[in-house]
Formats: sequence, structure tokens, C-alpha cells
Amino acid sequence: MWQKSPNHQTLSEDEEKKALENAPSLRFRFILAGILVIGIIAGLAINLIFDYSQKLADLSYDRLLRSALLQMDENVGLMRNEVSIDIPWSAFATLAQAEEDRVFYKVESLEQGFITGYQDLDSQPPQEPVLDKIQFYDQEYSGEMVRFAWVQRHITDPETAQTVRIILGQTRLSREKMASAVTQKAVEVVVFIALVAITLIIIGSHLVLRPLHRIERALEERAIGDLTPIDINTPKETHHLKVAINHFMERLQSNLEQLENYTADAAHQLRTPLASLKALAENARDNTSPERQYQALENIVQQCDTLSQTVTLLLNQAVVSHRLQTHRLEPIDLLAPIAASCREQAVAALHQGVRLSLDCELKETMVLGDAFSIQQMMQNLIENAVRYSRADVAHATEVVVQVSEFERFYRVKVIDYGDGIPNLEKERVFERFYRGRYDIAGSGVGLSMVKDIVVHHAARIQILDTEPKGTTFQVDFAKLRFDEDTV
Amino acid sequence: MRQLFLALVLVVSLNVTKLWAVEPVWFGSKQAQRTLIINSAMDLASFEPILKKFVELHPDVRLAYRDVNTLELYHFTIKEHKKPEASLVISSAMDLHLKLVNDGYAQTYQSAFTDRLPSNFKWRNQLFAFSLEPIVMLVNKNKFPGDLPEDRQSLLQTIRQNEKAMTRRIGTYDIRKSGVGYLLASQDARQADVTWGRLLEAFGSHDVQTYCCTHDIIDDVASGKLVLGYNLLGSYASQRAQEDDRLKMILPKDYTLMLMRAALIPKGAPNIEDAGIFLDFLLSDQAQKMMQTQGLLFPIQPDINNPNDPYVVNAPGPTGVIELDQQLLVGRDYAKQKRFIRNWEMALEISAED
Repeated sequence: MWQKSPNHQTLSEDEEKKALENAPSLRFRFILAGILVIGIIAGLAINLIFDYSQKLADLSYDRLLRSALLQMDENVGLMRNEVSIDIPWSAFATLAQAEEDRVFYKVESLEQGFITGYQDLDSQPPQEPVLDKIQFYDQEYSGEMVRFAWVQRHITDPETAQTVRIILGQTRLSREKMASAVTQKAVEVVVFIALVAITLIIIGSHLVLRPLHRIERALEERAIGDLTPIDINTPKETHHLKVAINHFMERLQSNLEQLENYTADAAHQLRTPLASLKALAENARDNTSPERQYQALENIVQQCDTLSQTVTLLLNQAVVSHRLQTHRLEPIDLLAPIAASCREQAVAALHQGVRLSLDCELKETMVLGDAFSIQQMMQNLIENAVRYSRADVAHATEVVVQVSEFERFYRVKVIDYGDGIPNLEKERVFERFYRGRYDIAGSGVGLSMVKDIVVHHAARIQILDTEPKGTTFQVDFAKLRFDEDTV
Repeated sequence: MRQLFLALVLVVSLNVTKLWAVEPVWFGSKQAQRTLIINSAMDLASFEPILKKFVELHPDVRLAYRDVNTLELYHFTIKEHKKPEASLVISSAMDLHLKLVNDGYAQTYQSAFTDRLPSNFKWRNQLFAFSLEPIVMLVNKNKFPGDLPEDRQSLLQTIRQNEKAMTRRIGTYDIRKSGVGYLLASQDARQADVTWGRLLEAFGSHDVQTYCCTHDIIDDVASGKLVLGYNLLGSYASQRAQEDDRLKMILPKDYTLMLMRAALIPKGAPNIEDAGIFLDFLLSDQAQKMMQTQGLLFPIQPDINNPNDPYVVNAPGPTGVIELDQQLLVGRDYAKQKRFIRNWEMALEISAED
């Protein structure tokens, strides 16, 4: 049956607007996620650029520094066993390419001590000194961060050997300028790309969602009651949505048709006994003989019982349908609802001259199910069996309910000895409102409800012939297996 | 390098303190609220009209001007670096001034005027050049034997040909006492090492006279005591040559050095606002024009509309502008300077104690 919204009511325009405002936006999420990802990537890129531009600037200006250092180094010599240096003008012309940067240097010999330059300069390199290996490092001097190049080498002649150390530094102004220029350009490019990407995402999100809006409009603009398939061209991505909507509408349409039939039938079901009631009542009114009047009233009471049964059936069906949708299956003893149902109906059956018996030797029959639904199912099956047993066959006075155990399931049989159902009809008895014989009372919904319950319990129902004559409904319920249950 | 000068500082410090005891020359009204002290290695004669104009334009500033030798100026600026008295220091010894900036004794100043200054006339926005003048030879036309020299080679020739007339008759800077003298000598050595060597040898063998200051040399050339002054500042020489018929200024044809005069504001200096205003005034068109038209100094970008203006440099040969950048530090390298001065002393046969 149908699942319906619990409080179905049309929202006012304001409420609709409010709901729309509160609803999460697919597009907004898409854009937000896009911006977030692009933002992170851009952030990483900028970070990398910042690092890279610093390295690049150091690399470029370290070359100048190295060149100047080597020029100085080349002009270190021994004069009268003393280290001396004649700094070439070109060395500082090289450094002057970093136009605004101050220059500091120191030349010393480990044996002779300070030779020239800035005496208070720290000549210890940060790394282990290795001969002839130039080290570059940043160190603060004279109130500014200075990039130093450091080298140490042996200088020998036949009479003396000395270790000379040259430290040459320049402030970082040009480096920072270059790094920030590189960074600025690169950041401009990154920001530009990010903005373009975000714009594309915004435009793209609009384009991507447009088919959805088209479907939405197509649905919105439909006339009430129009359940024909949507026939608009949509891209592959929304094709399935369209197909799903069309399927849904198909199902809706068939459900509606069933409902229409059901309503018509239910009305019919109620009208016939009502008409007959009216006729009987008129009969009673018009009859003058108290005896006949009594007979007529008796008939009215009977007719009322039948009507009451029909209404109960319809109500039960509604309840079962509701339970099937709302109640979860739970472990139950299958015998309990079956026995209850048998007990309930035994007397009614006897009234109709049918003996109802329950044939079961099992103690416990645990299955996963809904007791109320199963009881309803049994009631329907038994009623059905009793109803169709009334034919004038000698031994058609018995309906047997049998429960037996198999390896994986319990089998419930409802056996009657009536006329049986022709093979052609066996397949149709479960259809809603199908009635095999119109001479026998019944709503035509009982067996379809049985089918619903069976399907819901994942059980299996079969209609067999009883030997020598009659019908056997056989339902197999899977056993409740605790080991599986825990899985 | 500071260490090198330690000895020299000791030598000159007595001198310096004595000099400093001398009251500066004051300009402007005594009632002025603010005082601007300028230490400068520039003859007042070349600067006075500009200073007067400044106080005329800024009557609320009283200006004190101290004229000091370039080397003394350098040492004094370092000496008083913790609590400088002067708001502005002006020198022609570009190398010493650049070294002051490099060693962190100057502060940054920026204005529309400094921004306008071409980048090769300033360094780090801490050192600003306001004049560019040629380095010249000055001869006494009446006393000079033979033809006037047009370059260093012809000067050498003249010396060789007129040994007697030239002995003790050539004057130049004592590079030990004059900062700018050292700068010019080191630049000569850099520009033309061989010529410089020969010149030095010739100077040595002819008892060249050494001086501390340009105007002493010019005085002696004018009086005829000297026949030639070598490596003189163009602005002073030009001024005197215009007034004195006996004197002729020669821009050497082989190459003419071009020297800047530069100013800096010491770190921690008082009244830096007025120092900035004065600097801006020096760089302004008005002051630059005054330098040219009144024959005070050679402006950075002279008005070349007047072709015969002696303050527009028309060098007969190439000019070697002494660049205002880190290269100047090389000349002032402790080892190099020691060696250079020793070689100079040896060549001129002057003992170190002299």
C-alpha cells in the first residue's frame, strides 16, 4: 500500500519561501566546495611560490656573492711570508649590481689573525669548515640581516703555509626586492587563475543544474492529474532521473487505478448489502404477520453480520497495510497467531457446518514476522477455506490447518475439501478484487492481502489441489536462525 | 678598516678637538627657533650664497656651518655617532661618506627631491650627491715652462724636459691627510695604473709639495711658488681661475675624473626635519641653478643652454665619473689603503713619520 506524508497539507507561499531558504543548496555546496578546493590549491601554490622566489633570489644573488668572493680569493697571496690581499675593484663592481646593498667582509689567516675588512665580523661558519668549500648563510650584522659567503683555503709557498679565511657578505635588500617581485607576479597569476576557475565553477554549476530546472519546470507546469511521462530532452546525467520520475508516475498511476477500483468495489461491496438491508427492512415494515416480520428481522440481523464482516475485513486490511509499512519484523512464535486465529474462527466455522482443526506437534516455531499480520493472513485463508467448503460434497465439512517443520522453513497448510480452484484461476486469485465465484460472498481483497503479507515476510505461497478434491494453500516461512541473526 | 684609522685618529684627534673648539659660522637671525648644524668639507666661499639664500627662505632656522677637512670630518662623524651634533654632513670624499653609510652611520631620507635624483647620484636613500665637478690641473700661465700640458703624458714630458723649473714647483694632496686627496689618487691608480706610477715617480724625483687643502695649493700656484697643482677640485680652481688671469684650469685630455659632493644625515641626528629641508633645497632647481650661475659649484644636471659657461663641463677627453657605489669601499680597504699609502710615501720619498 502507500506510504503517505504524515501531515499532508499544502504549504503557504511564505512557508514555501522559508523552506526554500532553509533548504541546502546543491549549487551553493558545489560552488563552496569548488572555492574551498581552489582556495587551498591557490594557498599551497602561493606558499610554494613564496618559498621558491626566496630560493630563486638567493640563487641569483649568491652567484654574485660567490663570484666576488672568488675574485677576492684569487688576489690573496703571500708577501714576505705574510698573507696579503689586494681586493680587485671588479669584485665590488660585481657586488654593486645589488645596487642598494651594504657590503661587509673580513679576511683573516688562522696563523696571522686579522688581515683586512671588518674585524668584529664573526668568522665562524654555521657548518663544519671544509677547505675550499664555499658556505652561504644568513647572519645579522650591523643591525641588518646579511647574506654571507664563506671560504677557507690553504696558501703555501716553500717557506710558509697558512690557512686563509674570507667572509664576504651583503645585505638582503635586493634579494627581498627580487623575491617579492617574483612573488607578486606569480601571486597575481595564481589569483587570476583562481578567480577564473571560480567563475567557471559558478557558470558551470548553473549549466549543470539547468536540466534539473527544466525537469522541475516541466513537472510544475503540468495540469493536475497529468501522469503521462515527461517528454523533454535531457542530458545523459539527468536521463535516469527523468526515467525514475516517469517510472514513479507509472506506479502512481497504477496505484491510483487500483485505488479507484478498490473504492468502486468497496462501494459496491457495501451497496449490495445495504440495498438488501433496505429491501428486508421494507419487507418487515410491510408485513403484517408477526411471524414473517420476525423472519424478516432475523434476515436483517444476518445481513448486518455479513456487512459487519465486510467492513471488518476492509478495516483489517487497512490496518495490516499500515502495519506492514510501519512495523519492523520481530522474532515471534509462528504458532501463536495461527492458534489464535483457529480458536477465533472455530465457532464461526461450526455455524456454517465446517469443522476446523489444527494439526501441529511442534512446540516452538520461531520466525521473523508480525503476529497481527500473520493472524490476519490465517483468518483470511481459513475464512476462505470455510467459505468454499460449503459445497454439497459429503466430506467437505472439514478444514485442516497443518504446521510442519522442514530443515529451513515451517510449512503452514490450510486444507479444504471444497470444489477446488481451476488451474487457470490459481494465478489470478491473488489479484486484488478478483473473485472466483460471485455466488459466494467475499470482498475479493482477502487473498490479495494474504499475498501482500506473504511478500512482506519473504515467505512463499502456493496453491495446491487437495486429494481427492479441494484446495490447499501452502505457506512456507523461513526459520529464524539465531546464528544468522547475530550476523 | 676602522682599526686602520685608530692610529690616524689618535694623530688627528688633537687637531680635531682643536678645530672643533672653533665656533662655526652662523647664518640667519638669532631669534630663529630652530638650529641646523652642518658639518662640511667644503670651502665656505663656494657655499655661502646658498646658505644665505636658505636662511632667507627659512627665517625660522638658524644655520651653523663648520668647514672641516674631509678625513677629520669622517673621524669626527664616527666619534660623535652616539650623539651627533650635526644634522647634515657634507663631504667631497665620496668613499669615506659611502663607507659611513655602509657601516650604518647614516639614516634614510626620502622626499620628492631625492626621488627625482637619478639613481647613480644617490645610494640607499641615505647618501645624496648634489654636485658633479671635474678634477683638474691648475697652472700658473706666467711661470709655467714651455707649453701648457693638456694631459698627464704631456705633463710628464714637461717635467722631464724642465727638471729644474719643475722641482718643488708641483703641488698635490697629501693623501694621508686629505680624504678626497686619497680618493683621487686611488682613482688615478685605478684608471691608469702605469701612468699613475710614472707620475708618482716623477713627483717623487722632483720633490712634489703635499698639502692638506685645495685652496692652499691654489694660493701657492697663484703666487708662483708652484707652477702646477695636480688633482684639484674643479669648483675651487674654476672660481679662482676666473678671478685671476695668471691661473688656467686644465681638464686632462687622457681622462678627466668627475667627483660628486655628497650629503648624509647621521643616524640619531637632531632636527632631521630641517636637515631634510636643507637637502631638498640643495637638490632643488633654485640651488642647482645658483651653483651654476654664480659659479659656486658644478650642478648635477647643468643648464647647457649657455655653451661657454665654465660650469658646464666640456672635457676634451673621456670623463671618468667616480661611481657612488660599493666599489668605493675597495679603495678604503684596510690592507689596500695601507699598501697604497706606503707605496705613495716610498715614491715621494716621504717617511711615514712625516
